Amino acid sequence: MSGAVEYFQYVLAPQMLIGLVLGVAVILVALGLTIIFGLLDVINMSHGEFYALGAFIAVALGTIGLPFWLLLILVPLVMLPVGYIVERGLIQRVFHTGERHVTTLLLTFGLGLVLEDTFGLVFGPNPYKPDIPIAGGVEAFGIFLPSYRLFLIVIGGAIIAAVAFMVYRTRLGAMVRAAAYDRHMAASLGVPVQHVYAGAFAFGVALAGLAGVLLAPIYSVFPTMGRDFILIAFTVVIVGGMGSIAGVVVAGLLLTQVQAIVSLYISPVWSDPIVFGIMVAMLMVRPQGLFGRLGHG
Amino acid sequence: MTYYRTTMIAALLSATAISGAYAADPIKIGVVTPLSGTYAGIGQQVKWGLELATKEVNAAGGIMGRQVELTFEDEEANPSVAVQKADKLFQVGKVDFLTGTVNSGSTLAVGQVAERAGKLIATTVSFADSITGDKCSPNVYRVNARAGQQSAALAVWLSKERPKAQVFYLGPDYEMGRSTVAAFKSSAEKVGASSTGEIFAPLDSKDYTQYFGQLRAAKPQVLYTSVAGNDTVRLFTQLQEFGLLNNLTVVGASGTVTAQNIGAIGKAAEGFVTGVGYSAEIDTPENKKFVTAFRAANKADPDLYGADSYGMVYAYKAAVEKAKSTDTDKVRAAFADLKWSTPQGEKTLRAGDHQAVQTMYVVRVTGGKFKIVSQVKGEDAIGPDTCKRH
Amino acid sequence: MRASHVLVGILVTASLIFAAVGAAMNDTFYLRLATEALIYAGLALSVDILLGYTGLLSLGQALFFGMGAYLSALVLMIVPSFWAAFAATAVVSAIAGLVGGFIVNRVRGAYFALITFGMAQIAAKVVYNTRALGASDGLIGVPVININLGIASISSASPAAFFIFVLSLIVIFYVLSAYLLDTPFGRLLIALRANENRVQFLGYRTMTARLAAYVIAAMIAALSGALYPMLRGFVSPELLFFATSGNAVITVVTGGAGTLVGALYGSLLLTLLKSVVGSYTEHHLIVIGLLFMGAVVFLPKGLMGVVRPAIERMLARETKP
Repeated sequence: MSGAVEYFQYVLAPQMLIGLVLGVAVILVALGLTIIFGLLDVINMSHGEFYALGAFIAVALGTIGLPFWLLLILVPLVMLPVGYIVERGLIQRVFHTGERHVTTLLLTFGLGLVLEDTFGLVFGPNPYKPDIPIAGGVEAFGIFLPSYRLFLIVIGGAIIAAVAFMVYRTRLGAMVRAAAYDRHMAASLGVPVQHVYAGAFAFGVALAGLAGVLLAPIYSVFPTMGRDFILIAFTVVIVGGMGSIAGVVVAGLLLTQVQAIVSLYISPVWSDPIVFGIMVAMLMVRPQGLFGRLGHG
Repeated sequence: MTYYRTTMIAALLSATAISGAYAADPIKIGVVTPLSGTYAGIGQQVKWGLELATKEVNAAGGIMGRQVELTFEDEEANPSVAVQKADKLFQVGKVDFLTGTVNSGSTLAVGQVAERAGKLIATTVSFADSITGDKCSPNVYRVNARAGQQSAALAVWLSKERPKAQVFYLGPDYEMGRSTVAAFKSSAEKVGASSTGEIFAPLDSKDYTQYFGQLRAAKPQVLYTSVAGNDTVRLFTQLQEFGLLNNLTVVGASGTVTAQNIGAIGKAAEGFVTGVGYSAEIDTPENKKFVTAFRAANKADPDLYGADSYGMVYAYKAAVEKAKSTDTDKVRAAFADLKWSTPQGEKTLRAGDHQAVQTMYVVRVTGGKFKIVSQVKGEDAIGPDTCKRH
Repeated sequence: MRASHVLVGILVTASLIFAAVGAAMNDTFYLRLATEALIYAGLALSVDILLGYTGLLSLGQALFFGMGAYLSALVLMIVPSFWAAFAATAVVSAIAGLVGGFIVNRVRGAYFALITFGMAQIAAKVVYNTRALGASDGLIGVPVININLGIASISSASPAAFFIFVLSLIVIFYVLSAYLLDTPFGRLLIALRANENRVQFLGYRTMTARLAAYVIAAMIAALSGALYPMLRGFVSPELLFFATSGNAVITVVTGGAGTLVGALYGSLLLTLLKSVVGSYTEHHLIVIGLLFMGAVVFLPKGLMGVVRPAIERMLARETKP
């Protein structure tokens, strides 16, 4: 019996904890993606590049001396108008065509290309790494975790809770959910649908940017970093249910735990194929995901 | 319509100072190198090294009185694009010689193009043993050290400093990553080290912490890794985050820590040891002159890619002058066992497999610089000639 | 439709003139570049069959293209016969298309795009790590072959002759596709794009039609890919990477989805653009990305949306009494 406890304490628990940090990171990135998809029905293929944009802005502002804690607030604020303009100026133009899924996917795909190359143009090809704001680590029950990672778990949880609160418990959130469910009805009830759409998109990319700032000290910053999360973020969104916040949380935690534990026993190269396999299986068996769509679930 | 990075202007200006030099038909060297994408940092060093050498050669009168002209094309680290651009340079640009390819796939594919076009190419970056080994070509030369030489130098150091060490191997899961680990493992085991485990993580992994449990359980004294670029930044900084660097000696391939990523790795790179063909800290007047000129021109230190590319121009110069012609067969004959001097010492281009033989350096990262801790003679580091096409 | 035929006619004529001039000037590079553009046009054609007609955006068509390329390379290194490589590719790609088709058959829209994206990524990774397939270095040493056409023999090393051969093949693919899409089967696919549910209510078996479209597209992509090693003498995993699939999609959208001829012109245009822009700056992706976004927003029917009506008007004027 003590063998099992020891195994749990020294092998499984640390691995699960590491998976938890990864899970929080994935959820933060995927949260914006699912809101954009669930509300606007837009596949944002450039979501990874907005994540990168947040990180690069943090690097740029960091070099002129702004402290990390200020950046946590400043960067998402800066990203809001960027997202708003992208939605009104770009996405709205193709929004009303019949094949919205395809055209917005293509448009954001092109946007992603442009952004990625622009990062290389402005910042150069080599990586940057901001210093970790909280040094050292904590140890409990023989398990060690760096303090910054613990902070990430805590703040990640706080952000997720705040978003959920905003969406489900505020008037603003009610307007968003109404517009997702039936935009014409919502419009006729006085909901400013155009602004809600643009605002939601802006909020989604601001979340991605915030994730970029938070993860930059542990994952470093370079022009192609947007590609890190794209496959797993989309998988989490699909498995959880497009537009479902609860879905993203559950799917995000579940998938990263599976990845972390499985990597103990199987060669890591199978990690991506397994994740992909889960996505395919979900699409074949239950395409609406675990929790269904925003406003509909 | 090609992207002329012409050095003619600078050369002409200095040529008028040295009256008597006339702008005869220039010697054209084509450069197919990644200027965009993941390897753009390496391509940048290659470009800087080639440009500096060309400027110097032209200022001194060129090769046999003819000025050298470089033409750059972006291969995007994609062999299909590299082949297309190489074809363009050979057929349209009519270059006499070609260089610049970075990944081994591109070097091999462009080598084939060169064979069919009847021209010669040299790589200054690719370190896969196969290029001068089982996939060698009579038209392909390698001016830099290959994986085998790097491992040999590092293994010698390991046997002296950490005899009978317990080594854990962590590499990126692709051909280069696995074969580099395998090559070092066999060299290390020959000098008494033992392996306590190995992990191959997918390329572009963002989080290596999921492997730390296994790493800790193996209790190694030495960690050997062949990750590169951004992967190194993540691995090393995450190792430091988790306090795993405290009792661990980290060694690795020469591409693991370079001028491109050492800034981002910061203090986590301290103490890293590798076997490599160049370091900016080499204490010879030649190298100091080179480093000063390189820094002045590019505001950055040269690394192995910049230095080897610089040396390549001088190798070509020596061969053409010996052959008194740029004709492919004559230059090939001149390249055989050619000796020429470079910032890292004298190199020899072995006749059989076209591989450069040179002194290998063991460097340790100290205070953000690549300090030399020991050297291995060229003939000790070079392996046997396994090329079958002579 | 007539405008399309006129455009293809123009393309073929211009290409023949180009080949003649090139052969006379002993050109190698431009002819080979044009051949490569045609090979990628074949891939674009397969993307258009799915996107422009069936309404399915495939972000992973490079899977079949690369499969064809590798298969062809492997066969040629054992048996340097064009027909052997071609036949092997046709058979294997049909089977692979069936397997892939079963996996993706139940999804549409973004889901279809993401699944095809993922499938290609996984395949690329497998090839990248398989020693027997050359791993990350790819396979060099595909020999120059002689294609025996009965009355004549074409060497794959001869720039002009091989160019004309590839041109003929791609035109045959085009003609077959155009013919197929003009049949009731083709109309069914177009209906699927418009509204898949309604088509089912009308009693048609959509699953079979979709599968058939997918297999045909897979085969065309693979057969085009099979030509690549004959031209360049090697294959590498980058042929399966997302960039290849992405380029094909950009080609189709810019040229004009649902026109087939748009894929051909789009491919030539994109190849030309990349070569020219790439010589001036290494940040060519910004230029191409912006142009692509412009096409999606301002030219939803692609270039063909502008060119074809103009040609139709010219043809109409000619036939007026």
